[in-house]
Amino acid sequence: MISCRNLTRRFGEFTAVDGLTFEVAVGAICAFLGPNGAGKSTTVKMLTGLLPPSSGEVEVCGIEVCGMKVQSDPLELKRRIGVLPEDLGLFDDLTVEEHLLLTGSVYGVERHEARSRTNQLLHALSLEHGRHTFAASCSHGMRKKTSFAMALLPNPRVLFLDEPFEAIDPVTSRIMRGLLESVSRRGVTVFLTSHILSVVEQIATQLIMIRKGKIVWDSPIADLPQALEQHYFDLVEAPVVEELEWLGPARS
Amino acid sequence: MARAGAILRALALAYRRDQKSLQTVVGNNFFIVSALLLQSAGGFIYLIIGLVLLFPLSTDPLRKIPASRLALWPIQRRERWLLRVVSPWINPLSWAIAGLAVWAARGKVTLGFWGLAAGLFAAGFLLSDLSFVSTQTVWRLIPQFPGPLNQLIRKNLREMLSTLDLYCALLLSLSAVVCRVLRVALPPEGLLAITVLVVLALSSYAQCLFGLDGAGGLGRYRLLPLRGWQILAAKDAAFLLVVIPLTLPLAPLAGIGAALVALTVGHEPSVAHPRKQTRWRFSSGASLVFGIFQAVLMAVGAAGVFFSSALVLIPCAALWALSVLYYGRVMERWFGE
Repeated sequence: MISCRNLTRRFGEFTAVDGLTFEVAVGAICAFLGPNGAGKSTTVKMLTGLLPPSSGEVEVCGIEVCGMKVQSDPLELKRRIGVLPEDLGLFDDLTVEEHLLLTGSVYGVERHEARSRTNQLLHALSLEHGRHTFAASCSHGMRKKTSFAMALLPNPRVLFLDEPFEAIDPVTSRIMRGLLESVSRRGVTVFLTSHILSVVEQIATQLIMIRKGKIVWDSPIADLPQALEQHYFDLVEAPVVEELEWLGPARS
Repeated sequence: MARAGAILRALALAYRRDQKSLQTVVGNNFFIVSALLLQSAGGFIYLIIGLVLLFPLSTDPLRKIPASRLALWPIQRRERWLLRVVSPWINPLSWAIAGLAVWAARGKVTLGFWGLAAGLFAAGFLLSDLSFVSTQTVWRLIPQFPGPLNQLIRKNLREMLSTLDLYCALLLSLSAVVCRVLRVALPPEGLLAITVLVVLALSSYAQCLFGLDGAGGLGRYRLLPLRGWQILAAKDAAFLLVVIPLTLPLAPLAGIGAALVALTVGHEPSVAHPRKQTRWRFSSGASLVFGIFQAVLMAVGAAGVFFSSALVLIPCAALWALSVLYYGRVMERWFGE
């Protein structure tokens, strides 16, 4: 469903993403892990056509992406994917509910069906009380849930989610996991980035880890040789706890 | 006091990095044309215009510090008072108004004038705090429109409602309504002139249609399965939905003609050179020359409709449609970059 060959993105002299090659199968939940600045969001932007790669090939749902410059219909990919982008992509002047209704109308979902899906998503994500709140006044968690609901509402073939679980309360996080598992069982491919390894361990079927723009691990989750956190520390970055002398002596 | 000094220095640095306030006045078509027309009216008129235009720009500099951060800092009550009193003078516009006052009064600064300026600043501070709370209720009253672009048009109308251009145009339009109510007969040329002024007050916004969408909004446009021309048409529809009622008591067809021309000319800077705008400010256009160019073409378009025939609207609409299609394509290329 997602296919990537030698995907590279350079910003001047700096190579943010360096020759990524991977495949994600239909119905898989692929977790794309790495430290801050490793190139995760840049990769998501390239996979969703928001950023053209410097070189390499990307195919999503059988459509060649590559910055959306090579397609005959540039909207075809957009219709098939749902995205929760890094900046959430919300308009300050629309309410939570209006964002979902907007998504329904521009993705061609019938009006009463869009209304019904909107109500279900608002209920499922505990957004009912804030449905008439403008995005500018929403908490970060509410904004993220709104963007997540927008990605899900048109029932896309592939979901790209950039850090969906960060800043989300535990109950909603559990509901979101349930929703993702549910769509995955129906053949929707999920590609997500996250720093919350405990959630990733429970939901992902495939793991890709990157470090400094290069893949250091790509396997089904069942093939992990050890616990995910330890494996991440071993491959990506081991934590070094600095002793801050100026904090004073420890108290017993 | 050292703490207050450090905060004031940080505020001054933030202001130096954000010199948009003055630019909004310099790049606003209404201000440019008013300045040209009122050349002979004397300094005091400039002072009044300056005050009216600068007043909304003089928002509380302390708002640059997030309220929660200000509340958490360990500063004493008297330091807060010091910040309150001194911080307005970090804003270069405060000095500009003070300078204008001295210049206009030829050295004899009256207490009344200083009182007026202080009152305007105080009102500006209070409005900064109240504006968003009160506007949310009004924003929800924006009607629904048919078609898939409904929510985008509503959003664009809300954006226009949070610029001062619209209220300036509204005041001009209301003056015409008052004339009609009082049965004061306006000469045809006067009717056309006020119509053009109403659209002129809004025309700088037409040069920065995406200025209030923010990074998140611009990102969402790139994700939505919409053609560039649809996104642009939703912007223009909101503009026309504002212009039509405002010019109804004047010369509505000439107003539509002027609006179509303003939008056609405004697409280039809006799409090719997007400029971020600030809410509750006057919109800032591309440049002085471009503003004059846009204003002249608008006046020509409106005069053509007003003095010749409503059929002049046809070429105006055709040019606008071509511009929407062309700049829609430009937007799609921009989305792919």
